[in-house]
Amino acid sequence: VVEGLALLDLGVSPYSGAVFHETPLIIYLFHFLIEYAELVFMITDVLTAVALYLAIQDFNKVVFKKQKLLIELDKYAADVAELIQTPMEMHYIPLKVALFYLLNPYTVMSCVAKSTCAINNTVIAFFILATIKGSAFLSAVFLALATYQSLYPLTLFAPALLYLLQRQFIPIKLKSKSFWLYTMQYAALYLCSLVVIICLSFFLLNSWDFIPSVYGFILSVPDLTPNIGLFWYFFAEMFEHFSLFFVCVFQINVFFYTIPLAIKLKEHPVFFMFVQIAIISIFKSYPTVGDVALYMAFLPVWSHLYRFLRNIFILSCVLIVCSLLFPVLWHLWIYAGSANSNFYYAITLTFNIGQILLVSDYFYAFLRREYYLTHGLHLTRQDGTEAMLVLK
Amino acid sequence: FQDQAEQFFRSGHTNNWAVLVCTSRFWFNYRHVANTLSIYRSVKRLGIADSHIVLMLADDMACNPRNPKPATVFSHKNMELNVYGDDVEVDYRSYEVTVENFLRVLTGRIPPSTPRSKRLLSDDRSNILIYMTGHGGNGFLKFQDSEEITNVELADAFEQMWQKRRYNELLFIIDTCQGASMYERFYSPNIMALASSQVGEDSLSHQPDLGIGVHLMDRYTFYVLEFLEEIHPASQTNMNDLFQVCPKSLCVSTPGHRTDLFQRDPQNVLITDFFGSVRKVEITTETISLDSDLADFESKFPKDELATEPLKYAEQLPVAQIIHQKPKQKEWHPPGGFILGLWALIIMVFFKTYGIKHMKHVF
Repeated sequence: VVEGLALLDLGVSPYSGAVFHETPLIIYLFHFLIEYAELVFMITDVLTAVALYLAIQDFNKVVFKKQKLLIELDKYAADVAELIQTPMEMHYIPLKVALFYLLNPYTVMSCVAKSTCAINNTVIAFFILATIKGSAFLSAVFLALATYQSLYPLTLFAPALLYLLQRQFIPIKLKSKSFWLYTMQYAALYLCSLVVIICLSFFLLNSWDFIPSVYGFILSVPDLTPNIGLFWYFFAEMFEHFSLFFVCVFQINVFFYTIPLAIKLKEHPVFFMFVQIAIISIFKSYPTVGDVALYMAFLPVWSHLYRFLRNIFILSCVLIVCSLLFPVLWHLWIYAGSANSNFYYAITLTFNIGQILLVSDYFYAFLRREYYLTHGLHLTRQDGTEAMLVLK
Repeated sequence: FQDQAEQFFRSGHTNNWAVLVCTSRFWFNYRHVANTLSIYRSVKRLGIADSHIVLMLADDMACNPRNPKPATVFSHKNMELNVYGDDVEVDYRSYEVTVENFLRVLTGRIPPSTPRSKRLLSDDRSNILIYMTGHGGNGFLKFQDSEEITNVELADAFEQMWQKRRYNELLFIIDTCQGASMYERFYSPNIMALASSQVGEDSLSHQPDLGIGVHLMDRYTFYVLEFLEEIHPASQTNMNDLFQVCPKSLCVSTPGHRTDLFQRDPQNVLITDFFGSVRKVEITTETISLDSDLADFESKFPKDELATEPLKYAEQLPVAQIIHQKPKQKEWHPPGGFILGLWALIIMVFFKTYGIKHMKHVF
């Protein structure tokens, strides 16, 4: 950002160098606030935490209401009393979510590093707040802002749409007219705000330079500086002939999980949102630990799934050990010269495997709880012996 | 003031050069490289720049695979002094250190493609320090274990330098076995020579370091280095002190020196005349009438008696400007249309979400 602003002062487009890849609205924001950069990032972190707090507070009310409705409708099996969430245990969840975000070492690191990921997180948190409060207009605006900044929150369109449909009590049937009407309205709001924001950023610099620099950069991954993601190593060793193909494959990988998850989790859009954010932060082209911090902030919301998580000890050990080994192997590779990139890449792989397993573990636990809620805790097979649930 | 002004012109040199040669290869000759680097370090510390030093090292000890402390060359045991700092500039390295190259450097008969850093570009007002170390014998010095330079060749090279006016005064120091034999044959004027041992004597090494495994320095150069560490660019120590630097009790061999070819008295020769590059500058407000030696210079320029104001040091720096520096003005500002559009949008979103009823509170 500093480079971009310096280039602007010299009268050149900030995107002419290959360093600056942020959107023009960031230029506008930091043009006035660059001297107070530390304060800006602290404030964005606080705003994110506050937004998450309010969002989860509202979400808890919704969950509780839905639970009450389902109990009255007798949808639950008889012996699942211990699985029902009580207000007592749900009282502190918003506070825990805010604290999880603020005290996460990843958040602290990305605040110290003054990474613009913090601004991404703030916009996504406000989007979640707007969605849970039920305001389609605001959530479309914030989603457009988030997509404008880094392309991947586009996939959050689906969970937001599902949540708003649920809130309006519109059933999700493909033939239903009201479903399509609402979808069209929401999509129109979203696309219009996106177009308006992009045109506005055109007027900032009077050029369309920012589109290849920002979106072309995210999609085509030209810069292979090592990060905690999976793209750099693969494309460093790739022959140019195949790089276009594999870039497409890797990018599709991010967007691909939306439709199957939408079909499976259409009753639980907020969980879908959590899984989607996690998938974005694992598979995006330039991930940072700030993205990891955002979805980890949601973990207290599903603390009632703890009894169903199978690998949580190993996963937490893997994540902690990998986080500690990242700087060690980086130092060994770059500064001491006694390791090579394979060491660092191995830790990257392990870290991402840990994250994927964490997400899939929570997914399994969630589905298992839902199954128990509708079918009872003590499952028996046809011949009367005890049965086990397996996620296929 | 007269005396002090006369002191300016005691020595006739205007620039200093140094040619420092280590002629031995292989790890067990670590001490010769350390010798040369110690003199290099002192000479550089006292002011001679790398452009005026021709450093020839026949082997790379710092990056030798047998060096347990890579990138260092120590001169004291217990590794107190690393003479291989991070700004060592070696001009002739490894197999480039040959008798032919050394003689070409001295005499200036160098192919035109040689870079400047490898040339001795001295003139007739240069004081040159030549330091050589390695393995030697009676009348010769061994280069790289394959060839030798004899004292006759060296004397002839110095005569060529004198004929071509390539030096004003020359100080030749040699630290090898039977080193005094190397200066026996000199016959050119203005040469002063020192050697670490007489004919028939061996120069001994100083101390081994058990951590590195070799002897680190030779005795003579070790004590010369100790002596030179006390010298600073303004010191008035003269050559007589350098002659006494290593008595037989410390050096075991008898160092020798030769001053008969030298025109000035060694008492009046400052160490910094050869080892340093001292520029004498003194600001004065009075005019000085110089000696009869320079009367012809004086007659060319009339004495000017303008009284200059005494300048204070602080006035040279724009302190006031530095203290009261305003922050840099940014030249780029976002266009007005953009700001207007952005804030209009934000206000529209706000009112759409929270309703028109708040408008009357805001306005």
